[in-house]
Amino acid sequence: MNVLQIQNLHVAVEGKEIIKGVDFELDQGKTAVMFGPNGSGKSTLLGAIAGLPGYEITRGSIWYKGRDLRSLSIDERARLGIGMSFQYPPAIKGVRLSTLLNVLSQDAQTMLTNAEDLNMSEYLDRDINVGFSGGERKRSEILQLMIQEPDLMLLDEPESGVDIENISIIAAALKTILEKDKPIKKRMRSAIIITHTGYILDYINADIAYVIMDGHLLGCGTPGEIFEEIRAHGYKQCCECFAEKYQNIQTGDI
Amino acid sequence: MIPRELNSQRLETIGYDTCVTSCGNFLVLDQEVVDNRCTISGLRVVPLKEAFSVFPDMRERLYFNLIRRDMNELTALASREDPVGYYVYVEPGVKIEEPLQAAFLFGMTGTTQKIHNIIELGDGSELNIVNGCTTLNTGDSGTHLGITETYVGKDAHLGYTMLHNWGDTMEVYPVGAVQVAENGRYISNYVAMTSVKKIVSCPVAKVLSGGSARFYSIIYAREGSFFDTGSKVVLEGEGSSGEILSRVVSEGGTVISRQMLTGCVPKTRGHMECSGLLLNDHGVIHSIPEIRGEHPDISLSHEAAVGRISDEELSYLRMRGLTEEQSRSLIIRGFLDIKIEGLPDKVKNLVNDVIERSVSGTL
Repeated sequence: MNVLQIQNLHVAVEGKEIIKGVDFELDQGKTAVMFGPNGSGKSTLLGAIAGLPGYEITRGSIWYKGRDLRSLSIDERARLGIGMSFQYPPAIKGVRLSTLLNVLSQDAQTMLTNAEDLNMSEYLDRDINVGFSGGERKRSEILQLMIQEPDLMLLDEPESGVDIENISIIAAALKTILEKDKPIKKRMRSAIIITHTGYILDYINADIAYVIMDGHLLGCGTPGEIFEEIRAHGYKQCCECFAEKYQNIQTGDI
Repeated sequence: MIPRELNSQRLETIGYDTCVTSCGNFLVLDQEVVDNRCTISGLRVVPLKEAFSVFPDMRERLYFNLIRRDMNELTALASREDPVGYYVYVEPGVKIEEPLQAAFLFGMTGTTQKIHNIIELGDGSELNIVNGCTTLNTGDSGTHLGITETYVGKDAHLGYTMLHNWGDTMEVYPVGAVQVAENGRYISNYVAMTSVKKIVSCPVAKVLSGGSARFYSIIYAREGSFFDTGSKVVLEGEGSSGEILSRVVSEGGTVISRQMLTGCVPKTRGHMECSGLLLNDHGVIHSIPEIRGEHPDISLSHEAAVGRISDEELSYLRMRGLTEEQSRSLIIRGFLDIKIEGLPDKVKNLVNDVIERSVSGTL
């Protein structure tokens, strides 16, 4: 069953078109990975799904569990079950992490257990992301998602700026949220993971991978194959593979 | 005992709770002392007029000593009448954990309430006072003048918390002066979360060697409210220090926030932080942080900022499923959370409770 369906999506940021006609579907319980060079439109795609301000859908549609998301606000989308881990989450002075988590869930014991699993216990009484290192911010993001329990997770570079030890902690938590310990058919939660480095794939089995370049989604494949291709030949070769289909892509500077 | 006709809910909004343990109570309605209790040995809480006869030298030593009678028309007016207010005295070395509760209610529309309080802490003593001011009924209108002269002895510690819950027809003129002796500590918290027509106040603390004075203020200015408030710390003794933290939220009100730190002698240090949050385009926050150095061997600094709630922070919280209103409320509460140190938990909780109820709209 489709949990997310995107049709001919065009998204502009400050009047400039970034996403140029994307079609995409994601089944319930599946994890998709998106590769792409800087500026290719990965974060813009997630921002448009989440409904973040500044991402203007100029054409096309996004459907989540049969609902057209275009008319829904950010928090309405979140309450429908969409959650996001930000690449650069803001610091919020004066608002303790535990205060936010308590608003999201009254289950104090689960909060403490999840915080412990993510080595975040000592950060609960600190202001959200104030003075946090890169790894601490990412762990804080995942902790919030664990409490929020979304059905569709949008993970924007969860491993960027994070050391090896922290990647494994984050990946273990993500596996729990994504119910990777359950049989495939019983998994209900889905995710789109943006990754620049692909390190997260060493820890999480994704079901499918896409390459996004210059605002176009260039087909798909198995995550391992596509990542190996990118590692061996760079994004240029990927682009050339799909060049026949997408004639308008500029390949020279990739 | 508190007269029955007094509205206990009004008292609770300013932290005057007869159900909690405290070391003493003092309650004034208009110009009459209606409750005065003290349960701790070494602490005296006495109506000021009565104190003049109980403590023979006190009037000469402390009354209109830090504040001039002719400072303005209102102080001159107050000096010509019998004083109404308290004299709080803590004997040297006596340390009191439970806070002293005091409240001043105004209920005689069209009049001027004149209050004069004197606080004296003996050397090495400790006390926390929670002072609250409000009207007897919503809609009472008039003028409140509150004079407070505070003497913190050597090595003594005073935590002084003032909660204001006036109405939009009240004009309020608190006048405060504090003298902090060697190694003494003074912490002032001022919290005003509800509407008021006008409040003008700028207490001054003079600090001797090794002493410290800290002023924390939290103001939420609603539509039509006018505040001209601030504080001044004058570091007169070597090694003395001062801190001023001001958080102002304007939801349509006008706030002039005047803060000043002066370092007069070597090895004085101080820091000031004035932050303002404008919730709409009707309000004004005019922040005036001043630092003045009179010797090269001092360290004084300040930070000031006025702005609005960040869209990025709002979106972030909304992405967790909070509505826009919930997100704004959480950010405002966080902005107003100064994390005051040096106060007992009971007083901190009281201040937090007043802020919480006010931001969530139940005050």
